[in-house]
Amino acid sequence: MAPGSDRSLSRRDNALFVLCVALSVVMLVRPDWGNMVTGMVRQSVLRPFLWMQQRAEESRTSRAAFDRLRAERDSAAYAAQFLPSLRSENQRLRDLLGLGKRLTIRYIPAEVLHQSLPTDGRTLILSAGQDQGVQPFDAVVSAEGLVGVVRFVEAERSVAFTWAHPDFRASAFTQPGAVFGVIAPALQVSGSDQLLQLKGVAIRDSVPLGTLVTTSGLGGVYPTGIPVGTVIGQASEETGWERIYLVRPAANPEAATQVLILRNPKNAPVGPAFAADSAS
Amino acid sequence: MIQIRADRSRLWMVLGLLAVLHFAVRPRLGAPQVAPDFLMLALLLYAIRSRPGTAAVAGFLVGLAADAMAPSRVGAAALAHTVVGYLAAWGRAVFFPDNLFVNGLVIALGVWLRNAILLFASGSAGGNLTMALLVWAPLQAITTALTAALVLLLFQRWLDIRLEA
Repeated sequence: MAPGSDRSLSRRDNALFVLCVALSVVMLVRPDWGNMVTGMVRQSVLRPFLWMQQRAEESRTSRAAFDRLRAERDSAAYAAQFLPSLRSENQRLRDLLGLGKRLTIRYIPAEVLHQSLPTDGRTLILSAGQDQGVQPFDAVVSAEGLVGVVRFVEAERSVAFTWAHPDFRASAFTQPGAVFGVIAPALQVSGSDQLLQLKGVAIRDSVPLGTLVTTSGLGGVYPTGIPVGTVIGQASEETGWERIYLVRPAANPEAATQVLILRNPKNAPVGPAFAADSAS
Repeated sequence: MIQIRADRSRLWMVLGLLAVLHFAVRPRLGAPQVAPDFLMLALLLYAIRSRPGTAAVAGFLVGLAADAMAPSRVGAAALAHTVVGYLAAWGRAVFFPDNLFVNGLVIALGVWLRNAILLFASGSAGGNLTMALLVWAPLQAITTALTAALVLLLFQRWLDIRLEA
């Protein structure tokens, strides 16, 4: 076909355009079909490209990881000299304070394969999949807190929906106070940062600013105690049946390069692990 | 008008190179919201050399791949890329001279329009939509347009275009 020779919009061109638009709309209307098709595309045509991207992501983070590992090795070598006495002292102090043993959470580390689309951050492609033991509805966390949940799992990769996805919901409660609500993406933003909202809080309950919000464990998807964010204000609620609080998220999915996929039993609390990390 | 001679094999080599750059180099640049979109650039370079129908199909396929990589709302990227591919091919007949600046401008507009359609079709939240449309999308459009200018200058013989000085 000679490009530029025929400038008129032929019937064939219009028919192809309408067909492509119609197929796109069908996928929008029937996401189950769309997910099936895109899953097949990811596992076939895109597989070598995603492999290439994964190598690129790993090499980008490898230098920083090397420096961090070298620092950790030096610290570990130093600490190892005093390890037996440190361990016994640590145990004695924990006994004195009435603390339990530090949790050993089974997790799977994964690289995040970011995309160039503006909707990147609502969903993340993770570099770990069924082969590594990932399952649908595993919680995804970063060092700061909750990132999202695994929705689709393939052999070598998985797709996570983050808290920024419009359909994201999680049962949460405040610490302290134990005020329960449902976490969802907020319409408001703070600067360039998207916020969350804690909905469904009873009118009789009030939450002070700065209160930490963590997952409650209700619903059986997220373990108890994963930090979600901090309350920064109250949003208006027109019906007057509930209170809605704005929450600044603890973790930013758009900035996450490495995450942990929790393989912990769903009802086991993981909050003390985060508390221990933040305390140190 | 762009002087186009039929040498599709060289065009395909440039498009293949852009696809490799998208997956092998773009992740190393960091800042995925701002980094140039090499796939979109490849689509627009192809679209402005094709008939609107073919460009729409190419846009649909690129959009399907984008939906597979960021399945926030499957179908939104396919729709956005289809419309932009079709309009780029159609618009070439109207206002596409051999000027590097105009080429860059059209590519920047294409990236911004793709992002706008994608965000509306995938149902973005209000405040977040403003930031995405007025800050991140223009920045990505600029970086992609600058990359396009570089590609056009480096490969103008391969792409068979004559750019005005």
